Amino acid sequence: MGLVLCSLLLGLGPSFQDPAAESQKVQPLSERERAVHLLSRLAFGGRPGDLERVLEMGVEAWIDQQLQPQDLKDSWCDGLISELPSVSMNQVEINNEYGQRVPAGASLEERRKIQRRRNTPRYELMQSVLVRALTSERQLQEVMSEFWRNHFNVSFTKGAGISLMINTYEKDVIRGHVFGQFHSMLEASAKHPAMLFFLDNALSRRPATKTELKAIGRRTRRETGSEVRADQAVQLAKQRGLNENYARELLELHTLGVDNFYKQKDVVAVAEALTGWTIREAKRGDDPGFRFENAMHVPGNKRVLGKVIRTERDNGVIEGEQILTLLARHRGTAEFISEKLLRYLVADEPPKALLKATSKEFQKTKGDLQAVISFILKSDEFWQREHFQAKFKTPFEFVTSSLRVTGAEFENTGSILRVLIEMGQPVYMCDPPTGYYDTAEAWLDPGVLATRWEFALNLAAGKLEGIRIPDSFYEDVPVEPARLWQHHLSQKIIPAGVGKRTQDALTRTTNAYLRRNKTPDIRQLGPQLVGLLLGSPEFQRQ
Amino acid sequence: MKQDLNRRQFLQASGALALSSSALGKLRLSAPKPPAGKTMVVLFLRGGADNLNMLVPYKDKDYHQARPTIAIQEDDGLVPLDDGFALHPGLAPLAPYYESKQFAPVLNVGSPHFTRSHFDAQDFMERAAPGLRNITSGWLNRYLAHTASADASEFRALAMQNLLPRSLRGDYPVLAVPSGLDRRRSGALDRFDEFYGEGEMAGEPSSAGQADSMEPQAETDEVVYSGQKTIQTLRRFQKIIAQGKNRVKDGTYPSSSFGRALSALGKVIHAGEGLEIAAVDYHGWDHHANQGGIQGRHTEMVTDYGQAVAAFCRDLGPRLNDVLILTMTEFGRTVRENGNTGTDHGRGGAMFLIGGGVRGGQIHGNWKGLKESILADGRDLPVLTDFRDVFSASLKQLFDFRAPKGFFPQYKPKKLRLW
Repeated sequence: MGLVLCSLLLGLGPSFQDPAAESQKVQPLSERERAVHLLSRLAFGGRPGDLERVLEMGVEAWIDQQLQPQDLKDSWCDGLISELPSVSMNQVEINNEYGQRVPAGASLEERRKIQRRRNTPRYELMQSVLVRALTSERQLQEVMSEFWRNHFNVSFTKGAGISLMINTYEKDVIRGHVFGQFHSMLEASAKHPAMLFFLDNALSRRPATKTELKAIGRRTRRETGSEVRADQAVQLAKQRGLNENYARELLELHTLGVDNFYKQKDVVAVAEALTGWTIREAKRGDDPGFRFENAMHVPGNKRVLGKVIRTERDNGVIEGEQILTLLARHRGTAEFISEKLLRYLVADEPPKALLKATSKEFQKTKGDLQAVISFILKSDEFWQREHFQAKFKTPFEFVTSSLRVTGAEFENTGSILRVLIEMGQPVYMCDPPTGYYDTAEAWLDPGVLATRWEFALNLAAGKLEGIRIPDSFYEDVPVEPARLWQHHLSQKIIPAGVGKRTQDALTRTTNAYLRRNKTPDIRQLGPQLVGLLLGSPEFQRQ
Repeated sequence: MKQDLNRRQFLQASGALALSSSALGKLRLSAPKPPAGKTMVVLFLRGGADNLNMLVPYKDKDYHQARPTIAIQEDDGLVPLDDGFALHPGLAPLAPYYESKQFAPVLNVGSPHFTRSHFDAQDFMERAAPGLRNITSGWLNRYLAHTASADASEFRALAMQNLLPRSLRGDYPVLAVPSGLDRRRSGALDRFDEFYGEGEMAGEPSSAGQADSMEPQAETDEVVYSGQKTIQTLRRFQKIIAQGKNRVKDGTYPSSSFGRALSALGKVIHAGEGLEIAAVDYHGWDHHANQGGIQGRHTEMVTDYGQAVAAFCRDLGPRLNDVLILTMTEFGRTVRENGNTGTDHGRGGAMFLIGGGVRGGQIHGNWKGLKESILADGRDLPVLTDFRDVFSASLKQLFDFRAPKGFFPQYKPKKLRLW
């Protein structure tokens, strides 16, 4: 930035401050605004009637209820999930049901049929994530599941090998611990085949000894009769060894945060400690779960973060478990996880004091996620006006909230999955181990809004396959006068209120319609207005 | 003075500029316009591309020893450039540009920072600030901001993807072109015009009738501003793509998304819209497993890359002298294969420069071979050229832009004989 621009900026800066906005900032949120805030941050938007229900029971009671999701009835969602059987299966059941391999000499049609079957769990899982976000009464559980899905990211993009593994990952690792102990979720992820495969730890092993290399050479020579092939086999075996991929992301992304407290030598030590953490090669009917393979393990004590990790004879798995405990209890982890949680729940730039307090709570409760979330939601900062309608929605949040606030009914979610691909955030398909980011910085670029507008108009006009906004959505809007329809619909979709520009634009649409139609019909004008509201600047924020 | 103004501050400043002609005059003085008609196209191979299997040291026995199963062999169809290096067969379409001295590979290039994290290495490279986490603007965006003028083309900079790469993030507003835009109806853009600010300027007075509503104001809401930009630029972009033509036969570009992106860029360049900076990401180069040799995922991707870039060069024709195609990746990979027929994160990597008058037909960088004593940590290609030296040389030679102090934070680029 040139000096000229800077000085210009300093000169003109203050005149852009809006004094009215300044004084509003300090006013606490009204009870109704608190309910709106809660439904946009702790739920994927409110379905028709939700706001009234929250106001009736009170904000605190709603939160307490959401923190005990098991006590909430969820029959609509349960019914829809029961149509996606692979989502509730264990790994043995999934492999038996869907894991058939293509037999040699299969016809094209057979081949396709088997492939379709193999893909079923994947589609069902993606659908289940959407169905739950859209219909579950346990909204906070869904909002937090979305957070942990990205924190402990695994992705179908890794290849066919992972396609049957992620269903149980979602069920046992993410959903199983969403309000449990951070340590338990960390260990569950570390031992789950999907993570072992996604970050290559299943392949990581100690380098072969000289004796083993000689044996490999001898065997290959005997089997192939070729000296060259034997040499190559030995070379290859020499290079099979430590794979640092998981160890690095464990420190960088899952616990401490990048370069926080650890060095490259810690990455190597962690990788060595975790050698032998691999996947059981399952025959039909076996449990293809976690297996510790002593023959792959680098023996001996390790030194991680300045601490000696002691090994036990014939029980090398204990090293990795000690390291996970060490990491889960580490101050750096408490800070890193707290910051991410606050970024997700409060603001792109979390308030410093709240970060400090939340990390403390995390450490004090040994990473009790229910306690930590509850602590954040009971903080004053969470309810500050500056955070109200301030956070830019991710594509997932935008799409799910559009469908929820309009009470959309759906036969299938295929068209929504496709929209999410277009917007760059398809379910369980984030290739980088970081998971998707949740800040405006990551999503708000000129150009991206076009995709949202297209979706908004298509949804409102009933042009998304298998999705429709029911007539009942328009039925409780007073029939007269038609020029107030925009006001009522706006209240339903953006209860926080819209600015003057949006009001004016809606008025112009209403006026244009009323000029052309002497007997106005809400089923014509209504969808136009709804599409515009969903694409308005106000609806992009939560 | 602060290096990183936030986006909102920049919007205020640039909005204010429109009102103040004297400020505009000063700005022009301080920021000489770059020579017209020059374009830098930045291709980022994400994941750490394995350059040893792209530009292959095919006669080096250390190479073959380190990669018993994934080495590319002479009889796989390697295209020798000299006694030391040969192009992967998938890059064969680029060989003519090496012969015509327009293709300049730089080897052993990378970041001085030790990180082997993709995300850090990419961020550091795209912000041209290794290890400096407080720098959040991209280097290409800093260039755009430094040379901003009020009458600059809306198409000064484009990313041919749904989201901007880090290198283009920052104060200067840059357009991300959503995929499938050429097929998309323009209805949505028209419908949201008024919601994002255009309507009030042109249309009827607002119903509430506030006195200031007719005055143009600097837009300070990020979402609204982004929407305005979206509408203006996508409309024009659609037109360019619909009316524009490539100067190669249909089917020359591969049908991959990478090929389609370069094909669209070709049209924009031919349309003479003042495109200076374009970026395209190519994902998926992190081949820890099943990278393969001549058969495998890496080869497929190299082939797609080679075809697309060669088609782009041919499409540009003589314009290639005004267009620099700069290919980079966050780091190279381990010299030895890892036993899962893959390679792991390394240090030194490669950059490929094509066109823009670069001194091609020779291999730049400081190649020292693959002896263990040469390798960084005994396993990786060393970093002997700082990537910022290449960035600096590219900006200077193509745009006649001398990076002021602080443009490359805490770094003074060294001169390279790349031009």
